[in-house]
Amino acid sequence: MSTSPKEEELVNDLKQRFVGRVTETLIQRPRRIFITITSDALTEFVSYLAQKGYRHVSTITGLDLGQSLGVIYHLIEGNIVLSLKVAIPKGDPKLSTIVNIIPGAELYEREIHDMFGVVFQGHPDLSPLILPEKWPAGLYPLRKEWKVEAIKTELEKTQE
Amino acid sequence: MSESIFTVPVGPQHPALKEPENITLTLDGEQIIDAKIRLGYVHRGGEKALENRTYVQNLYLVERVCGICAMAHQLCYANNVEALLGIEAPPRARYIRTIVAELERIHSHLLWVGVAGHEIGFDTLFMYTWQDREIALDLMERITGNRVLHATNAIGGVRRDITSDMIPLIKKGLTYLGERIEYYRKLALGEKTIAKRAVGVGILKTQDALALCAVGPTARASNVRRDVREYDPYSAYDEMPFDVVTNDGCDVAARIFVRIDELEQCARILEYAVDHLPEGPIKVRAPRSVPQGENVSIVEAPRGEDIHYCKSNGSDRPERYKIRAPTLANWASMRKMLIGGSMADVPIVLAAIDPCMSCTDRVAFLDAKSGKSWAWSYEQLKKYVQKHYGE
Repeated sequence: MSTSPKEEELVNDLKQRFVGRVTETLIQRPRRIFITITSDALTEFVSYLAQKGYRHVSTITGLDLGQSLGVIYHLIEGNIVLSLKVAIPKGDPKLSTIVNIIPGAELYEREIHDMFGVVFQGHPDLSPLILPEKWPAGLYPLRKEWKVEAIKTELEKTQE
Repeated sequence: MSESIFTVPVGPQHPALKEPENITLTLDGEQIIDAKIRLGYVHRGGEKALENRTYVQNLYLVERVCGICAMAHQLCYANNVEALLGIEAPPRARYIRTIVAELERIHSHLLWVGVAGHEIGFDTLFMYTWQDREIALDLMERITGNRVLHATNAIGGVRRDITSDMIPLIKKGLTYLGERIEYYRKLALGEKTIAKRAVGVGILKTQDALALCAVGPTARASNVRRDVREYDPYSAYDEMPFDVVTNDGCDVAARIFVRIDELEQCARILEYAVDHLPEGPIKVRAPRSVPQGENVSIVEAPRGEDIHYCKSNGSDRPERYKIRAPTLANWASMRKMLIGGSMADVPIVLAAIDPCMSCTDRVAFLDAKSGKSWAWSYEQLKKYVQKHYGE
């Protein structure tokens, strides 16, 4: 039932090349691939994909997965949208930057640093992009433990 | 460091800016040597708000990401939820979506050509294009009921049908717009003001546009052939006749030409869509709860590739909804365009990516008078509105 041969070829190639580090793959429909990898493989994986033409990072999504934080890199080449997923522990959210491989990722990494507190190691400038200067440290608004009401209370406290 | 090097903050509030943003420019004399970007002045917490509302409520929240490309965001959202539900809008609805999306592109591009004219001191052009833009707005009002924030889409189709009495009106509007687009093309090619202020200004080389992941007319004016309507067709675009417009000028002038040529393609799509509008229902029934899953949806907004990601958890509210509007994708490129240029070109170079700050900033309240920021509850907002606009 090969309805998407190009997608299957890519997924098989990646699985073979990164044995043990690709933990989950899904061809959701033609032109949409989801691949989960271990976070230590990120730089190597993105470099390999970039060589294959995946140099357009459309955006990077941050996710709260409870005990861990998810980061999804949406890469596009031709008509294939490849969503590359990694998870990192919430207590120590560190990930290497991909700005040296794809310069266009700079602002997206800064946005996730603001919203989820993920530290992208090697990023040239992780100063706040969106949140105000006086925003309380440790308040990452898109993390699930911060309900809208809790954010309001916290901000009122810092207004004094 | 030489004594002639100094920094100039532009914004968040600045006479040359239409919307709040902050760029700290490092200048050597008149020449820009560095630019640092700071956003967030109109961040409204949209993504957090989306997680706290139902899929149906979110239809109307998501189009408020941007007043200009409301249709693009709502369409992207509807496609996203429909894919997760495993349903598809009927053919007639897909055509109506295409028609409204292209009318929106015409209004947005005409608006932009006017703003570009204004930024280079050519206000007559501004007056002309904004007058013609009314045609597109009136047609959208006739079709959807609203000039802006059309609320065209429902999950599973569209809310209102195009009736037979609207067809001649749309055709009449298109004939007029066709003549005007031709006029603007001649004007853009022949007018000295445009040549002097736009040619060779705000250069973004093809390799830089690719490396910095530029999108939309900004990328296409740097000769990067990237148009979602072509590479990942949605709605009825797989049936529409159109050419992807590119230009190898890599400067502000090229960005003007690309948008004017795209206007012509919009008219072509609209003519075809109106002539071939299929019969049938405009909506299928959609369940309120969405099964667990995740999906990536992309559309070509007037400003470029608009990408949404949705993670559903089986309930009637999304677990996570991520929006990346095209303007954010073009900020990195804009920095590149500014560096090496002159201070006097900042307004037009900024305008040339057609920035939409409300699109870019989505997540707190800021009191401009006191500089305080805080988050409001719905009740507080309601009280505020009633106090100021009520009775």
